[in-house]
Amino acid sequence: MDTTTGSTDGLDRDIAALKARAADYGAQHKVIDRITWPNGARIAVNFTADFDTMLLRRLLNEPPQQLAKGEFGGRVGIWRLIELFDSHKIKATIFTPGRICELYPESLRAAARSGHEIADHMWEHRVPKEPALERDHLTKTIAAIEKTVGKRPVGTRSAHSRELLLEHGFIYTSEDSMDHRPNWLSAPDGSKPILNLPFHYAIDDAMFFSFAWLGSDNSAQRMMDPDHVEELWWRMFEQCYRDGGYMNVCMHPFVSGRALRIAMLDRLINRMKALPGVWFPNCEEAARHIIGAH
Amino acid sequence: MPWKERYTISDEKSIVDRDIKWPGGKRCCFRVVVDLSPACGPEGIKPDDLTTPDAYYGMNGGLDALVGVLDRHGIKATFAVPAVIAEIQADKLRRLAGAGHEIAAHGFKHEDVSLLSKDDEHARLERTTAILERVVGRRPAGWFSLARPGDKFAGGAVSPHTIDLLLDGGYDYFGNGLADDAPHWWVSDFASRRAILALPYYYHFDDQFFLLFPRKGTGLENPDSLYRNWKAELDAQYRRGRHFSMVLHPHAIAWPNRLHMLEQFLDHAKSLPELWYATSIDCARHWSTTFPAATHLKLEPSIWQDHPGSLS
Repeated sequence: MDTTTGSTDGLDRDIAALKARAADYGAQHKVIDRITWPNGARIAVNFTADFDTMLLRRLLNEPPQQLAKGEFGGRVGIWRLIELFDSHKIKATIFTPGRICELYPESLRAAARSGHEIADHMWEHRVPKEPALERDHLTKTIAAIEKTVGKRPVGTRSAHSRELLLEHGFIYTSEDSMDHRPNWLSAPDGSKPILNLPFHYAIDDAMFFSFAWLGSDNSAQRMMDPDHVEELWWRMFEQCYRDGGYMNVCMHPFVSGRALRIAMLDRLINRMKALPGVWFPNCEEAARHIIGAH
Repeated sequence: MPWKERYTISDEKSIVDRDIKWPGGKRCCFRVVVDLSPACGPEGIKPDDLTTPDAYYGMNGGLDALVGVLDRHGIKATFAVPAVIAEIQADKLRRLAGAGHEIAAHGFKHEDVSLLSKDDEHARLERTTAILERVVGRRPAGWFSLARPGDKFAGGAVSPHTIDLLLDGGYDYFGNGLADDAPHWWVSDFASRRAILALPYYYHFDDQFFLLFPRKGTGLENPDSLYRNWKAELDAQYRRGRHFSMVLHPHAIAWPNRLHMLEQFLDHAKSLPELWYATSIDCARHWSTTFPAATHLKLEPSIWQDHPGSLS
């Protein structure tokens, strides 16, 4: 883009380049309006857990105590989340890095036995820029999950390329928040679409409870309590319920697995269940319904 | 990779709630830790760190007020004390120890040990043990490495050598373990199963992160949120029959409005009939006897493989 000259030609080129980029990006996204759910449900709520434990901390070379903080998720938190969702007969989705299959295989097997979905969250919590290595990481994760729980993943929470995901049989991603409603991601001509089940960083436990999350500095910490976050999330739910729609609650076992937050999630689920027409599928169930009905 | 080195410090799965037992059939352990380090940087306490209003209040009016509240509630706390503070405040420490509080080590001068050579860390650890033993008349049984307000992360710093050095130095427990919310074994060597007991710590129950953190002028003053975190965790852990601990800084928590909040919390704790109020060493001794590493540390063989293009 020409930003060095104020000449008419230069400004016209700026406008044209921005218009082309906006049109191209817009053509890759299509929101599913007026979504319907099975049995007349008003809303589908996906509880999703990103099972990073210490892997991202290790990838970023953070110090040992940060790893131990993440380790809580594998030793304690994941088991409590499985117990919580089982007690409510809710099927959740666990997005796991492939390497977790080598660190906490028992918990993944237990989750799968309870009917929770085990989906992809990258091999070691990164998507390599090199296409061959990206492919290698994705196929390694698929193999590790299949070996551990006996079923290939069909969903991902990652920035893996759409074509690569489709080639490997993935039917949905749960990564972006270009709309609060489920949407299609495709090539600009609409071809090769994949479903996106959106989550939002404001409905993500780590934003409120994980110190130094996403590199935030100390004066930017906003350490909250469960009551505060419960009300934020409840208001989100109320609005989506009123309009009819979709909500994705993003948790991390090392964060939400703490006893005080399990208690908060238990209250939140009870409040949701008290209303008629609330459906708690895992992401795969929601995705298969959408793909079939829309 | 030998075991899960540089990924995990303990076994794959925590002890389940129903297996936990506390002395006298009590339901949940309740521990108070008081950090007696003034705010300092990663090099540890410097002369200027002792001449701030907070440092003065924390060792004088603030400490007196906090100890008064603990006494009124009959609570024996664990004071985490840098060796240099023990040298400066020897009389105060002897009074605290004489009143039944535990004095534990908190570094030579609360420095970041990950910045030290192994020899230097070793020398400081030995000196710290000797100073606390001379001042208090008893060897410290526990070691803390709590976060400084300017630390990038809130867990406190250790080096790759810290746990080995603590075991060599005869310590019974490490005071800020983040991998569990019950005591757990921190393995320093898989082959020999060498391990130290780690007592739980979590930054959401540490007052410093809610009270003008990280410094005045940031506008972050949330004692109500701190109270709700303490209460929610205590109630949940009491139901589970596990463990609760909090970390207090006298300069922060003793300011009157905040101290009132602490009293309200301790009053709430009193309404739970089966709490076991323990110092850290009481908790560690009970755990080491009831759930020793020899029988309760369950280390599965590692199935980790090294792959080209991946973390090792």
